[in-house]
Amino acid sequence: MTIYPRVDNTTRVIVQGMTGRAGRMHTRMMREYGTNIVGGVSPKSDVADVGGVPVFASCRDAVAATGATATVALVGPAQLLGAIEDAAHAGIKLIVTPTEGMPVHDALRARAVTREAGAMWIGASTPGIAVAGQAKLGFLPEASLLPGPLGLMSKSGTLSYEAGYRLVQRGVGTSVWTGVGGDPVKGTRYAELVPFYAADTQTEALLIIGEIGGNEEEDFAATLTEHRFAKPVFALIAGRSSPEGVTMGHAGALVHGGHGGWAAKKDALEAAGAQVFASLDDMTNAVAAWHASRLT
Amino acid sequence: MFLLEHDAKTLLAAHGAAMPAGALLESLDFDTATLPAPPWMIKAQIPVGGRGKAGLIRTANSADELRAHARDILGKVHKGMTVRSCRVETRVGGADETYLSFMLDPVSAGVRIMVAAQGGVEIETLAATEGAVRNEVAMPRLHDLNACWARLTAGFAPHVAAAINSAGPALARAFLEGELSLLEINPLFVHKDGTWTAGDAKVVTNDDAIYRQPVLRALLEQRAAAYPEAYRKHRHGCDYVVVDPDGEIGLLTTGAGLSMMLIDELRATGLKPYNFLDVRTSGLRGDATRLVNVIEWIAEGKRVRVLLVNIFAGITDLKEFAQLLVEALARIPHIKLPVVARLVGTNLEAARDFLATHGIPVSTELGVALEHVRRKLA
Repeated sequence: MTIYPRVDNTTRVIVQGMTGRAGRMHTRMMREYGTNIVGGVSPKSDVADVGGVPVFASCRDAVAATGATATVALVGPAQLLGAIEDAAHAGIKLIVTPTEGMPVHDALRARAVTREAGAMWIGASTPGIAVAGQAKLGFLPEASLLPGPLGLMSKSGTLSYEAGYRLVQRGVGTSVWTGVGGDPVKGTRYAELVPFYAADTQTEALLIIGEIGGNEEEDFAATLTEHRFAKPVFALIAGRSSPEGVTMGHAGALVHGGHGGWAAKKDALEAAGAQVFASLDDMTNAVAAWHASRLT
Repeated sequence: MFLLEHDAKTLLAAHGAAMPAGALLESLDFDTATLPAPPWMIKAQIPVGGRGKAGLIRTANSADELRAHARDILGKVHKGMTVRSCRVETRVGGADETYLSFMLDPVSAGVRIMVAAQGGVEIETLAATEGAVRNEVAMPRLHDLNACWARLTAGFAPHVAAAINSAGPALARAFLEGELSLLEINPLFVHKDGTWTAGDAKVVTNDDAIYRQPVLRALLEQRAAAYPEAYRKHRHGCDYVVVDPDGEIGLLTTGAGLSMMLIDELRATGLKPYNFLDVRTSGLRGDATRLVNVIEWIAEGKRVRVLLVNIFAGITDLKEFAQLLVEALARIPHIKLPVVARLVGTNLEAARDFLATHGIPVSTELGVALEHVRRKLA
């Protein structure tokens, strides 16, 4: 896959579901941050524009009129698969979907469709992606964004906002922040972005914010080793004290019968050379220490 | 959600897969005439592994024996889970134990099918043996899944191959139709004549599909008490889990990852959180009802003595949230929990001033908020 989440303030972005409540609000917030929103899509609305941005009936129309290459879909979970198919078939190469609650069998289909179309799908249930100081596609709050050398990947929105905020307070900024999302089946997994972060010249170290459930952290660890990833890797994993057999909010955060537990993730990541933390303070201190040391 | 075995078998049967007859005992007050024929297996219904090794799966030949086991097992606690019910089934004898499972394969966007001619409790160990567990990944369509059976069972004893070729398609249909995330039958009992019986059934459903899964919805509504978390999410739109019935700190938090992390950190410093919560502030829409519900659930914790509010959300208007919080507390004056808040985000100053006039201390740093919590607990 050659499409990477490195966007900038010239990347042409559309918003699917722009005329809805969330669509309007986030369109405004993304534009205020600097994102180049060139159009909106709303199959059923007669609204001609939102804040001066033209609204189209389909992604195909929007792409034809604006040359958009990226989309943020802000539609309900039952409409999400259709929105992703619409975007992929229109040739959009970066599809970001913050929507929570996408049925997992829809996610299987969306993953197949986007891969077939050669598009990168980020989500669902993602806080979005951001290149600090340039553009954000999604919800990442400004208080957590500062340009810097740290690549960041996260499942959880709020935990990564908190981590980003604490790092900003310590003067540590991010290069490319990718919220992969908390769903068990998703467009892009941590492991798939390892080659990107390895090659990205503005990324000098990588932080992943993970959580219990599934095996993505383990797959990521294996990929680090496979690619001989040479940059420092930090990992913060939530859910060490979560009970077995219960879904902890994110559909993917479920430990059952020894699968997806905290200790296995820690072991796999450490074996791949990553530093693993169980608290925000410890992680922040370690990353800040690394950040300070690189300047000397 | 992770279904209890009894519900897993009920759900699979509703999707057309033949399951052994079984009855659910929730108390000692049962009539053996309503049970399937003896001899029996009696199995504790809790959503964690290792039941057999913990003595929570037993055999009974007589009604007295069954009653004695039920008396002993009901109420037992294993891995933090209290046994509230048992499933009673006719015991299967003289059958081979095989293994069959379906799970989502997030990398290929397919379904992974795993089959072993030898199943049972040692499957995890067996899985490490080269070739003991066969697996294949297919696209999530019935004909693609069913194209795998002949290959997966090639070379198996004829009665085992026949059973898996019959069980496989029936369960594949249930997996797809039910939009399941995991379906594991271990052991899959195989009889000499090539027929089969599901010994155990492990099913993880995808609750995000519940709006178009009437079987799952009916099951959840009927068995709400067994799945309080999933039921609450279904009814109230927020995620709430009691993580420690003896916890002292109620958490009013938004965001699954941050809430999980906060629980880890509180525990690491010796504090005792009561619950996990992702209240989803964006879903409140100016109505305090969800906050009222959540605070009432938290107040059910007998040892909860303080409510810690932790909201870090880039888009939530904190002033609006603060007003809803005060309104919620005013609606439940009988609940007198002291409140400590940690807020970061839009309109912080206004929220802080407003909450101060209602006696709620607000800080932006979690460490400071935890100091307030410690003082309330002291």
